[in-house]
Amino acid sequence: MAGGNFDAPDSGQGRGGKSYKKPAQRGVHIDMTPMVDVIMLLLTFFMLTTTLSAPQLMNINLPKGDVTKDKVKLAANNILFVRVTDKNEVFVSRGKEDGSESNAEKIGMKELSAKLEAEHKINEETVIILRFDRKAKYSSLVDVFDEINRAKLKDRRYAIQPMEEVDKEFLKAFGGY
Amino acid sequence: MRKQRNIKKASIHIDMTPMVDVIMLLLTFFMLTATFRAAESEAVEVSLPQTLYTDTNKMPERDVLTISVTNKGDIFLDVDNYKYRESVFGDIFGMGLYHPDTLTKSEAETSGKVGDNDVKRSLMVLNKQQFEDKIRDLKRELRDGTGNPKAEFRVVVKGDKDADFGAIEDLITVLNETNTKVFSMVTMIKHEKPKE
Repeated sequence: MAGGNFDAPDSGQGRGGKSYKKPAQRGVHIDMTPMVDVIMLLLTFFMLTTTLSAPQLMNINLPKGDVTKDKVKLAANNILFVRVTDKNEVFVSRGKEDGSESNAEKIGMKELSAKLEAEHKINEETVIILRFDRKAKYSSLVDVFDEINRAKLKDRRYAIQPMEEVDKEFLKAFGGY
Repeated sequence: MRKQRNIKKASIHIDMTPMVDVIMLLLTFFMLTATFRAAESEAVEVSLPQTLYTDTNKMPERDVLTISVTNKGDIFLDVDNYKYRESVFGDIFGMGLYHPDTLTKSEAETSGKVGDNDVKRSLMVLNKQQFEDKIRDLKRELRDGTGNPKAEFRVVVKGDKDADFGAIEDLITVLNETNTKVFSMVTMIKHEKPKE
C-alpha cells in the first residue's frame, strides 16, 4: 500500500520542495457524525412542527349599509333562489316576473357551479339569494360559497337571507323536508 | 493471531457527504416553509371545512381577530395579541364566549371543555349586547394599536364543519350590527382535482 502511493501522479508532492513524512495522506477526514446528529434532530423538529397544509381564508363581503334601511329592489325574474335544507340538500329555483317561483330543482352540491353558470347565461343580471335552514351544517355554507367562487360568473352577486316557514312549505312540494 | 489482525483493521469510513447534503436541503426546506401552529390562536380546536377553490388568501400571521364556532354552537372571541386581550377581557389569557342559542346550554360554560379538550383560557361569558361591545372594543384596539386607522387587520371566522348554520347566522347578524362587513372564513384546501 504505502509503496504504491509514491507513484500516484496527482499526489502533488515535491511542488513545495519539501518532503513530507507521510505523503500518502490525501484528504483530511472530518468526523461528521456529531454534525449529522444535530442536523437530524433539527430536521425532525421542523418536520414535526410544520403544518404544511396552511389554512386558507375565504373572503366574505357583506353588503354595505344598514340592513333595515338600505333595501335594494330586485326585479323578481333576476332572482335565483338557492335553498339548503336541514338535510343539507340543495334546491335551486328561479323567480318569475309575477313574483312567483319556478319549480325548485334538487341538485347535488357539486353540480351547483355548473347550474349557476347556466343560469347566468340565461340572465346576466342574476342575483343569488341564499337561504339556509338553521339546522344546515356550516360546511354546506362553505361548499355553496366554494361553488359560487368556482363558477365562472361575470360578477358574483349574492345575499344571505333567513329561511322562513314559507320557504319550507314551498320546498315540501318538491321533496324537501 | 488472525483474529488480532482483523481487529486492527478498525472503523470503516463511510462517506456521509451526499447524505449530509440531502439532509441539509431538507432542513432548509422545512425551516423556510415552517409556519408554527402557535401563530394562530389554538385555544379552541375546530375541524375546519374543506374547499376546492384555490384563489384564497393565506392566513395572516398577526393582528387577527379570531371568532371560532364549535359544533355545539359556542362562539369564542379571541385576539392573538395579549395586550389587547388584557385591555378588553382584563386578563392576558382572556377569551369571550357567546352562546346564541337560548334553548341549549353552552358546552364550554357548563363543562369547561370543547369536544374532548379542556379550555385552558379564562372565559368571559357574554350576552349578545356584550358580545357586540367586545367586538367593537377589539376592533378599536386593533386599529389604535397599529397607529394607522387604515391598517389591515382581519376578522377571521373559524367554524367547525359540523356547526349548525343557525349559530353562523346569528354571528353574521352580530357582525353586520358591529359594522364588520368584511371577514374571512378559514378553510382547508381540499386536495382533489375539480371535475370537468
